[in-house]
Amino acid sequence: MTSNSRPQEIRLTIPSRLDYLGIINQAIGELGECFSLEEEIVDALAIAVIEAGTNAIQHGSTGEGDAQIDFRFEVAGDAIHVKVQDDGPGFNLVKIVEASEPDNLLRSRGRGIFLMRTFMDKVDFVFPPGGGTTVQLLKRRRSDDS
Amino acid sequence: MKVEREEKEGIVVLRLEGKLMGGPDADVIHAAVKDAISEGKRHVLVDLGEVSWVNSTGLGILITNYSTLKKSEGSLKLVNVNKRIESILMVTKLNTVFETFPSESDALASFTD
Repeated sequence: MTSNSRPQEIRLTIPSRLDYLGIINQAIGELGECFSLEEEIVDALAIAVIEAGTNAIQHGSTGEGDAQIDFRFEVAGDAIHVKVQDDGPGFNLVKIVEASEPDNLLRSRGRGIFLMRTFMDKVDFVFPPGGGTTVQLLKRRRSDDS
Repeated sequence: MKVEREEKEGIVVLRLEGKLMGGPDADVIHAAVKDAISEGKRHVLVDLGEVSWVNSTGLGILITNYSTLKKSEGSLKLVNVNKRIESILMVTKLNTVFETFPSESDALASFTD
């Protein structure tokens, strides 16, 4: 078990390909072990981070060549911060469709950001002027009333 | 992702193994469903027991094949859904689209109801 009194950053960079997301899933499992995270938290983190990674691979880069996706995890106190960064052209948040609405249930796309927002306590999208997208995720280890 | 096909009681059972996350997975699963339809078999049970996780693109694959079978007056149901996948189905309300079963025998019996 790792002490979580000081922020510690773990950084992983993968080629922009869906099949490498398994490495991120494994890493989140290990992060859970190191910081004694509850299974529910680990699952929530894995779901949201994999969605951020999927978005980055599918919308943030061409998936070809040497494009890479950068993942940064920081556990600070009872907060887990994750940043997922790509260098692609970004996307239009306004065009995101709410796929869990009854009329949209059979749409095959449009659930990624919804899943991130559902399983995380905070989700921000940053589009730096130089290009790329950074998704910032925050998950708290305990609910406020615990 | 590995896909194995079996037939039980006239139902096509597709056993998926690995991560359901889009890319080539979509073609493999859709081909298996199209093959089943072309053979006149319109009811498919997807076994997710060996699927460790699914992303939103993987959900899209299940939905596409569900819709394909529905158009052919068939059905697609799920069995052996793990906790993580179940929670995703629940929050996306896809648990109202996909019938899920804890055991294969229950799932197979449901096709004859």
